[in-house]
Amino acid sequence: MKLKVLVSAVVMASATNVIAAQNYADFPVTVKGYEGKSENSVSYTGQAARQVLHTSLKKLAGKGNGQANPELKANMLAYFEGEGAGREIISPATKGAFVVAETQVDELSKKKNLAGKAYKGSVPGWPGNMTGQEVLGFMIDKASGSNKGYDPLTGYDYAQLISKFTMGAVFYNQAVDNYLDEKLEADTKPNSKAYGEGKPYTGKEHVWDEAFGYFGAQANALNLTADQVYKVAKQKEDALVYADLNKDGKVSLYNEMTYAHAYYAAGFDKGGKTNYLHTIVQAFVDGRQLIADANGEALTDQQRNKLKGYAKTISDNWEMVIAEAVFKYAGSTYKDLQKLNEAIESNGDAAKAFRTYAKHWSELKGFALALQTGKDNLGDTAVKLNRLIGYSPVLLGNTQVAGLDAKGNYIQASSINMKEYMLHMLKVQKLMVDQFSVQARGNDVMADLGDLADKLSSGNSVEND
Amino acid sequence: MLEAVTQFYQDLIIAFTDPKKRVFWGYLLISLGIAVCWARWVAPGGISKLKDCLFNRRIWWSTSARSDYAIFLINRFSFLFIAPLLLAQLTVATWLFESLHDWVGYRPVIGQDWPDWCVMLSFTLFYFVLDDFFRFYLHKLLHEIPCLWAFHKVHHSARVLTPITVFRTHPVEAVLFSLRTTLVQAISIALFVFFFGSRADLITVLGAGVFAFAFNITGSNLRHSHIALGYWRRLERWLISPAQHQIHHSTNPAHFDKNYGVVLSIWDRMGGTLVHSERGQELEFGLSRHLEQGEQNLLNLYLGPFRELWELLLSRITKTMKAIYNR
Repeated sequence: MKLKVLVSAVVMASATNVIAAQNYADFPVTVKGYEGKSENSVSYTGQAARQVLHTSLKKLAGKGNGQANPELKANMLAYFEGEGAGREIISPATKGAFVVAETQVDELSKKKNLAGKAYKGSVPGWPGNMTGQEVLGFMIDKASGSNKGYDPLTGYDYAQLISKFTMGAVFYNQAVDNYLDEKLEADTKPNSKAYGEGKPYTGKEHVWDEAFGYFGAQANALNLTADQVYKVAKQKEDALVYADLNKDGKVSLYNEMTYAHAYYAAGFDKGGKTNYLHTIVQAFVDGRQLIADANGEALTDQQRNKLKGYAKTISDNWEMVIAEAVFKYAGSTYKDLQKLNEAIESNGDAAKAFRTYAKHWSELKGFALALQTGKDNLGDTAVKLNRLIGYSPVLLGNTQVAGLDAKGNYIQASSINMKEYMLHMLKVQKLMVDQFSVQARGNDVMADLGDLADKLSSGNSVEND
Repeated sequence: MLEAVTQFYQDLIIAFTDPKKRVFWGYLLISLGIAVCWARWVAPGGISKLKDCLFNRRIWWSTSARSDYAIFLINRFSFLFIAPLLLAQLTVATWLFESLHDWVGYRPVIGQDWPDWCVMLSFTLFYFVLDDFFRFYLHKLLHEIPCLWAFHKVHHSARVLTPITVFRTHPVEAVLFSLRTTLVQAISIALFVFFFGSRADLITVLGAGVFAFAFNITGSNLRHSHIALGYWRRLERWLISPAQHQIHHSTNPAHFDKNYGVVLSIWDRMGGTLVHSERGQELEFGLSRHLEQGEQNLLNLYLGPFRELWELLLSRITKTMKAIYNR
């Protein structure tokens, strides 16, 4: 009887005392000789500011009226390359019970822009032989003159293209090719010094925080399910409780909101096949703890190697998240093409079907370009991806954008037909499976084949007749 | 190696516990029930017939049956290593699915106004009929092409029939069966997913295709047994009865190369190879009436076909050489 009581007590104690996972917050100040008042060394306000610059820019990209619009262009450029005060946070904004704390970019961090941090390498998947920064500027120019971000002549949805490519060219590139790469070396941003004069964080602490800020996860992501994090990103009314870490009734866009890649990671994970969000955030937390444990001393080679291990986990999984997005939108594009064909054959609403096709294609293209802005050159995988997708979706007259003229106008040329292009989308999905071993596989065109094959399979057939 | 042994035991258990398998314990039990009913109400000798045909040590522990058991175990184990080398049905289905885009031009969605059960029934029926036809046709080829017959003879060398005789198969023949299954499944999957999308599905009972399930609960295991359960003549024109399959194993030359079918007898009917069963039929099983020395020897069963194949090749080469010389 006593044993029974004891067992029950232990069970109850374990049920009620679930240990919460470490949030990406409240790491102590370890800077030697720090004399300020801060007790917390975590800081990624600049990255949070860039997250809202991105979400606001995406909103603006869908505001065009189909005419040349210098005012809109100037406004978009203010978010892209400007640093001035007074920039409103257009998105995310308060939505019902999901009350957002900040309304101005400067409330998060001053003088921040996206252009200064955009990928400086060449972007072979986009016409014009431009750098990542130039491509974004070019897209902004075109978006300002489009009709709500959409150009029916090329099939471009600029809001999607700008958004997804920014996620790669700024956030992913800065994090995996800068902060989690060369800035982890011993002689760069050492842990034995403050990041800057009077700052409460060391060089390595801040480098690590900046990478975390670019991923876009809320600080308490490890204590939430992927579904809950996804709801926060979607600003669902019942999601305030998941976001409001400090219980002030508002969502701070600094560390209580989920953005960009973290949102996509949560989106894939809620399907149950993957665990990208928690894997990445856990590696960030573990890495941050390792740096904090060094207590303001320079990291030893052994510590840096361990830190690089966490960085590799983050980079590898982050790349997978983008590859999953490419896979998913290749599937959407395939299905859109099927519907477009049906609409054409049956004299249905082809314009509407084409609009959806353009949207999904642009998401696919944006992510495909983003995938190529990482640390490593993807080699022939990038070549295949760019050739399969092309510079634009295949248009109704079996043409595709083939380049730019001297004035920056698109040049179209004859291409494969839409039916063959469907097969290209299948091959894009196959490429993502072969090269990145994607697991979530949203909109898997081949999924039905696999499901049926599983059903029919009955093991090794050694039976006679 | 330990992994292989574990897998081997798992496979053995699955063979008798998975309703997708022919010798699932439930099917065996039902077959036993059918056999008892057959003996009680149909067999000329009455219930005492069971003692001869079923509960007979001379059947279950004969040299031939013991070879069946040994082959069953050896094949199970060897297939652990052979199976990964074989073409997966999903690989072929994927290739076919991609090729259909080229061949058809685009991917039409048909049967949109069909109810889901109708698409499922179509798929289940298509797969069943295609599979049954391919089984019939490959079986026919195994008898008609000498180099294939060399391997299929292993199955026909059984002197007694038990449900385990279904596994008395030379590994080369088993590879052919596996390729046949791959092809049939790949064609069915690729075609139906291409045209019907995610609505293509298999109607199953206990995880097994409904037609395969029906075949198995109606005494499929009696095909390889001494229970000469025949159907009505009219029914045997459509479905192969256990007694008709026993005729296929008969040593009577009049029965050679007859009744190739598995479930449907229409293929045999079309090919002129259908023979009906007769009430009270008494048959001897094997390759010939004459008992060969060492015919149940495992080494002979596994290596004999290769020796025969070599002899066939040698004789073909000799003939060709002679023909060239005489020209």
